[in-house]
Amino acid sequence: MTDAVIRTASLTRSFEMGSTTVQALRGVDLTIERGEYVAIMGPSGSGKSTLMNLIGCLDTPTAGDYWLNGTSVAKLDQDELARIRNREIGFVFQSFNLLARATALRNVELPLIYGGVTPDARRERAAAALRAVDLEDRMDHRPNELSGGQRQRVSIARALVTQPALLLADEPTGNLDSKTSLEIMALFQRLFEAGNTIVLVTHERDIADQAQRVVTIRDGKVASDERKAPAAAGDRKT
Amino acid sequence: MNAVEATRLAVESIWANRLRSFLTLLGVIIGIAAIVATAAVIEGLNKYVADKLSDLGKGTFTVQRFGIITNRQDFLDAIRRNRRLRREDAFAVRDLCTTANEVAWQVRSTADVRRGDGLLKSCEVGGITPAILEIEPFEVADGRIILPFEEQRAVPVAFIGNDVVEQLFGNVDPIGKELRIKGQPLRVIGTARKKGSFLGVSQDNFVKIPYSLHRKLYGTDRSVRISVQAADPSRMDECMDEVRAILRARHHLRPAEDDDFDMLTAAGINDLWRSLTTTIFSIALFVVGISLVVGGVVIMNIMLVSVIERTREIGVRKAVGARQRDIVLQFLIESTLLSCVGGVIGVAVAYVASWALRSFTPLPAEFPVWAPPVAFLVCTGIGVFFGISPARRAAALDPIEALRTE
Repeated sequence: MTDAVIRTASLTRSFEMGSTTVQALRGVDLTIERGEYVAIMGPSGSGKSTLMNLIGCLDTPTAGDYWLNGTSVAKLDQDELARIRNREIGFVFQSFNLLARATALRNVELPLIYGGVTPDARRERAAAALRAVDLEDRMDHRPNELSGGQRQRVSIARALVTQPALLLADEPTGNLDSKTSLEIMALFQRLFEAGNTIVLVTHERDIADQAQRVVTIRDGKVASDERKAPAAAGDRKT
Repeated sequence: MNAVEATRLAVESIWANRLRSFLTLLGVIIGIAAIVATAAVIEGLNKYVADKLSDLGKGTFTVQRFGIITNRQDFLDAIRRNRRLRREDAFAVRDLCTTANEVAWQVRSTADVRRGDGLLKSCEVGGITPAILEIEPFEVADGRIILPFEEQRAVPVAFIGNDVVEQLFGNVDPIGKELRIKGQPLRVIGTARKKGSFLGVSQDNFVKIPYSLHRKLYGTDRSVRISVQAADPSRMDECMDEVRAILRARHHLRPAEDDDFDMLTAAGINDLWRSLTTTIFSIALFVVGISLVVGGVVIMNIMLVSVIERTREIGVRKAVGARQRDIVLQFLIESTLLSCVGGVIGVAVAYVASWALRSFTPLPAEFPVWAPPVAFLVCTGIGVFFGISPARRAAALDPIEALRTE
């Protein structure tokens, strides 16, 4: 229990749409342990994006509770959530979301800037993160000088640079061709084997199958939770 | 995020949109440039006037029919009330005033001055008593000034300004040569050193002749201007009171009646001048203030556009941990820096403009040293004031919505 990166209890989120209230999540109980590689699946409208926003601390639940790395974050204010996002979560987006005017290195430095890391340490850590995704020779390139796969690797380096408790990827291969997708998925596999906790949100079955565990969301609830035989991660969990 | 980072971001952002930034800043540039250039001209004028007035000498004042009149009603009152000051008034002051060191007077008229075939039109002809040259000193370039006996006997001599020398004599030495005014031949006895021009009006276009000779040529009905130098400059007020009493007695004024003449001191003229230029400056400030407000609104507008354009960037920054205040700081520094860049350009334009005014126009513009720091403060104020609303708007964006924006 103490080693759970994510633990939610009856997580509920509803939206006011004019006069009606839409229940996007109707009580989700989900626990993800450290070192797990989990895919969250579900058709559009299932509530998986809402769940991802809550897990990513971009949003707060209407009811229920959520502990991220042991801290209850359900009732935190905007700035406290920003701090949690900065320290505990690394985001990987479908459309990369890199700053167009900044070099790869500057993009990777971004979370460290908000984390108050000194410029020298920042540079060093950003460079190390880029090396970890095999982009040490592209540090001074801007996003428009990089291929889609390279851009996504920069964005993964940005997510990793703060050494977060959780790597949260939202359709990370959605904008990539199948060959590049395989490369990125291989990179996630490598990161998983290196001990990172990864949550991957996708609607593609074959992408989800790369993970050790697949959680399916339907109508705002967990519909299924399949674990594969723990292979590489087996020795990390008791 | 600290201010250094935010400044770096702001510089990158302004530079990336440099044409747009420049156009955005036109209002601020023009506003700052206009106000500083106006200040430069006024500063120059003030300095010039103060400089000229110091010529008048300490403890000196003048008495004349009309003082400096700045509105129509005062002018009409003065015309009705004030009598011409006559030679006899001047005599009375000279003879009766015990606290005066020197008393002199002059009358002025305008005439065409001829030398042979040469003609100088509309030259100031001043009829003076020699002591005036002690009170309002002229620097003698050559020859000498008019002597008391020449005034007493109306000797036809002339002390001339530099313009007269240049226009009528050229390279010829004018001393001892002859001029004619209204057919009266005059012998040049001295020339004054060049004074230059003030607001485009030459200060060297004059011929000084003895007062008695002026009376012969132009008659006796012109009002004289009396110049008085107090014996003790620190007690000039007493001297002024005495002169006032003498003239009021001569003019038979009852105690309740206003003076029917006007007295001016260098300090008085300077005060009046300064209040005049201060008024001009306040009006200019008001007009230019409007342009600065417009400039500020344009900055606010472009910052709002910038926030909308960069919604996604803001979303990313928030996702990776930017707090509200980080976003506020980023946009506030950008708007402030933008505004200050406008201020710097504006001050530079004003600096060049005041140099150009000084060099190519008669206006004695003097670039004010306080302009750069004040412009900096004003622009910082504009940047913060007009930047706060866009910055708040950026900070308040919902990260989920912002990331979803195309």
